[in-house]
Amino acid sequence: MKDTVISFDNVSKTYKLYSSTRKRLLGVFIKKIPYKKKKAVDNVSFEIQRGDSVALFGKNGAGKSTVLKMITGVAFPTEGTITVNGRVSALLELTSGFDMEFTGRENIYLKGHILGLKDDEIKALEDTIVEFSELNDYIDQPVRTYSSGMKARLGFAINVNIKPEILIVDEALSVGDAAFRVKCQKKINEVIHKDNVTLLFVTHQTAVAEEFCTRGIVMKNGQKVFDGEVHEASEFYKKMYTIKK
Amino acid sequence: MNKIKDFFMSYINILILDIKEHLENVPQIFKLSIADLKKTYTGAALGWAWAVIKPVVTIFVYWFAIAIGLRQGGDIEGVPYILWLICGIISWFYMGDSITGGTDCIRRYSYLITKMKYPVTTIPTHNNLSRFFVHIIITVIVVLIFWIGGYPPTIYLLQLPVYMILMFLFFNAWSLFAGLVSAMSKDFSNLVKSFNVSVFWLSGVLWNIENVKDNEIVYSILMLNPVTFICYGYRNCFVNHVWFFEQPKRLLYFLGWYALLVFLSLWAYKKLRKEIPDVLA
Repeated sequence: MKDTVISFDNVSKTYKLYSSTRKRLLGVFIKKIPYKKKKAVDNVSFEIQRGDSVALFGKNGAGKSTVLKMITGVAFPTEGTITVNGRVSALLELTSGFDMEFTGRENIYLKGHILGLKDDEIKALEDTIVEFSELNDYIDQPVRTYSSGMKARLGFAINVNIKPEILIVDEALSVGDAAFRVKCQKKINEVIHKDNVTLLFVTHQTAVAEEFCTRGIVMKNGQKVFDGEVHEASEFYKKMYTIKK
Repeated sequence: MNKIKDFFMSYINILILDIKEHLENVPQIFKLSIADLKKTYTGAALGWAWAVIKPVVTIFVYWFAIAIGLRQGGDIEGVPYILWLICGIISWFYMGDSITGGTDCIRRYSYLITKMKYPVTTIPTHNNLSRFFVHIIITVIVVLIFWIGGYPPTIYLLQLPVYMILMFLFFNAWSLFAGLVSAMSKDFSNLVKSFNVSVFWLSGVLWNIENVKDNEIVYSILMLNPVTFICYGYRNCFVNHVWFFEQPKRLLYFLGWYALLVFLSLWAYKKLRKEIPDVLA
């Protein structure tokens, strides 16, 4: 039986670019203020089934991040409809939703509360998260003192351990060291296969994507140019890239 | 006709969404407001003491300037100026901080908007709530000060929660509107900051508006200021001993302002909700 968790139906997203912030403020009140339109996502449609693991390929500015943001519910489409069923856990950026003044441990609770978990539910996950992040004593230091690798580790540890139904990983894995990367990949593999989590993965390293994705979508200039088996998608992406060179 | 109906329905729907988001996220709102408090006060060595030191210093400075400097420190409504000042100015501490703090609330919590899906209408609420907790503590202290100063609580103090809740709701609507607009551009937040001072001096926080009662036009314009309504409401409880329903005209003016702000906040939400993540990102 088909169990669609994410569906994009002719989705387009246009950003409004004003020449200055003052114009943007005036644009709120006056419709006539001119602005440029930038189409970040152009008429994209696809469906993703439960348990799928999909890689998104594309150069910078191809619209991958915008697609992910729309799935997460952070950004909204200008046209078309998006349906998402399930709890989305997104690692959009390294510092995804951290409060810099709080310690790592406090951030675990903060993030849990924001996602609607109860104290005892978070407590049950706390040790796993701390252990996974390998932060040791640093877990009780403010996040602003963390290095980018530490933030990425904590972010990944939280997102992957709060039992997501849809996991979105946006290049976060490229930050940690090799050992941690392997650990993350193992963990991702585990959640995909054990818990039937739907994975959306964005990376420039096609080899990593091929490891645990079965399907690949290639984007270019906001449009979907390829959608199919991951190896073929990776080939397509590489070819597109070399021609460009 | 249908157009008017659609127009109204779109606003009613946002209002329902606003209320629904609040009801569904009560634990998150409280958790985040306590987190906000912790963040404000745990960074400094004196910590929580600042919540009291800051208002005490401010009150002293105003009292010194007005009573000693300008020699206007005589009794007002039968109580010493300092007490008259204190019981009104504590409400301004909340209101003034809410006018500017509310304007920055969306920017301050931009990560709740750009990094995850979070009910946006509740951001001003938890942001204001953390300050409201402090306000409650200060209000209790002021009740004690009055008591010690020989003015024990009267039955009129029972209406204080009415004014407190009106104040909270009013500035919550303001914060949603101002927060959303200033997220689009910092100009708005600068505009608010420059107006904040005028709102303060043109309210009856420091000086008694009854002094200008002879000039009816000026008097009624000054009385339109919602800050004055709340501030004098506090004084109704502590000093004047008047019930809020005994001044129906003032209450109606205030509720009119409130209705306007709610409308503006819904308008801002409707217009900007989808654009704001793009701007803040």
